[in-house]
Amino acid sequence: MRRREVGVAYALLAPAVLLLLVVLAYPVAWEVWTSLTDLSPLKDGSGQFVGLDNYRRVIGDPQFQRAAVVTATYAVATTAAKLAVGVGFALLLARPFPGRALVFMAVFLPWAYPASVSVIGWYWTLSPPVATAYSLVMGQMKHAVDGTLGTGAWAFLSVSLFNIWRGSSFIGIFLLAGINAVPAQLFECALLESGSAWRRFWLVTVPLLRPFLALAVFLSLTTGFADLANVWMLTAGRIVFPVIGTQAYWLAIQGGQFGLASALSLTLVPGLLGVLLLLFRIFDPPEAERA
Amino acid sequence: MVEQTWKKWIYFYIPLTVFVIGTLFPFYWMLITAIRPDEELYRSWRAVNNAPFWTLHPTLSHVQDLLAKTSFPRWLWNTFFIAVVSTTISLACGLLAGYALARLNFPLAGFLGTSIFVTYLVPPTLLFIPLADIIRNFRLGNTPWALILTYPTFLIPFCTWLLMGYFKTIPKELEECARIDGATRFGAMARIIFPIAVPGILSAGIFAFTLSWNEFIYALVFLSSPERKTVPVGVVSELIRGDIYFWGQLMAGALLGSVPVALVYSFFVEYYVAGLTGSVKG
Repeated sequence: MRRREVGVAYALLAPAVLLLLVVLAYPVAWEVWTSLTDLSPLKDGSGQFVGLDNYRRVIGDPQFQRAAVVTATYAVATTAAKLAVGVGFALLLARPFPGRALVFMAVFLPWAYPASVSVIGWYWTLSPPVATAYSLVMGQMKHAVDGTLGTGAWAFLSVSLFNIWRGSSFIGIFLLAGINAVPAQLFECALLESGSAWRRFWLVTVPLLRPFLALAVFLSLTTGFADLANVWMLTAGRIVFPVIGTQAYWLAIQGGQFGLASALSLTLVPGLLGVLLLLFRIFDPPEAERA
Repeated sequence: MVEQTWKKWIYFYIPLTVFVIGTLFPFYWMLITAIRPDEELYRSWRAVNNAPFWTLHPTLSHVQDLLAKTSFPRWLWNTFFIAVVSTTISLACGLLAGYALARLNFPLAGFLGTSIFVTYLVPPTLLFIPLADIIRNFRLGNTPWALILTYPTFLIPFCTWLLMGYFKTIPKELEECARIDGATRFGAMARIIFPIAVPGILSAGIFAFTLSWNEFIYALVFLSSPERKTVPVGVVSELIRGDIYFWGQLMAGALLGSVPVALVYSFFVEYYVAGLTGSVKG
């Protein structure tokens, strides 16, 4: 009986695991191997083994160093902002009020909407091509920002704003689910025990929502580190400011240097693993709780 | 009492209004641009428009152009087809795997569960290079199959994760009763558990569908001819030529292709959230 159950379990898991092995494990292994070669679709034959050369080239490249700093700043800054706005959403929506369902939908829409097209709306908002009194103000703002902080600063700000707009919508809804999952009595007790809303927030709400906050931070940081789509879409593929994702895209798809590009995108892995370990350390990991 | 309402405005209504305006403004902006006539869109920089936030001459010509003069209807169909097939594959795999992980005791259960969770987090930024090479080797480039086979990389972990959480909320006793009454494991699974899990399956399906509808990177890398593209990529790449933006059509496309999906999404969000919290709490 027990034996059969194990067999059934593996049979049920087989399709999912097989497909994931083909489209996930194999590509990752391929990428690790390719990063050690000089493979390129522009050249004939399979690439030559070059050891750690690609990594040496990538890490020594000042452009990469700049991209790495920008990527990390981007991930951390947007995560912090998303979390702040998301918590705001969740707290505002936690109590019932007339019209809550409509506000709820308005809050969720940015995330539900395809990023590649809502980005067009943002592009239009931030760099309006139509001559209006409004577009003059935005144009001057762009020049002021780029002038003080260097070229690309405005683009960086735009992408961050877009990412925050989209991400905080998800985090807000997610944390709201977290608040709803906590028994209401706990919050009511806290209301009686302490006078200050600020203290209540840090001493009661935050600890209760810890697993949710951890997962939200984790998802936000990892997508931030590996962001390619948002940056690509808002800058229409031009590298106004470099992040690792767009650099890898240009190298691989436009430049045809698969080996170098693989090494470049694999440099993200230590960052991703670092975030994973840190969060599993600080917070109760959702997965370990179950096991 | 007077002080109370004053406080409520500061802490509640004003922030709420700011948030809602912030989230909805880009959508409003798209709508206005989509119905703005060309004479207002393309004008010299000196002729300042005094009505930047609305238009006095709404027109549907951009929508007509979009449907008649571009491949937009084609993109809609491509996106729909790819989303339906990849969702079906992923849902079937996720259903079986989620059931096994939630219900059956076997060595490696914890390990496989965690691995599937981790694969969900492998970003497309890491995967698109090797996948591009695989697609090239199998000569699948520029066909819908390139996307149908790659979308499960994020859809299967997602469906499995969501459905596993859902299956765990269904009491084991229901199944045990069925087994005692003579049903086989598969019988109990197909006739008792899956029907109860319909809301969970439905929400996993809808979200998988929208995730593939909205996907951008793989569609950008793997498809090249204009009539093969999906809505998110087609709108951005075909209606922007160099620095020329077909603004009206662009905005109309942005609205038409996505509003229905976004609305469906919003209606089912409660299910989705329930699924997420289920899997967080274990």
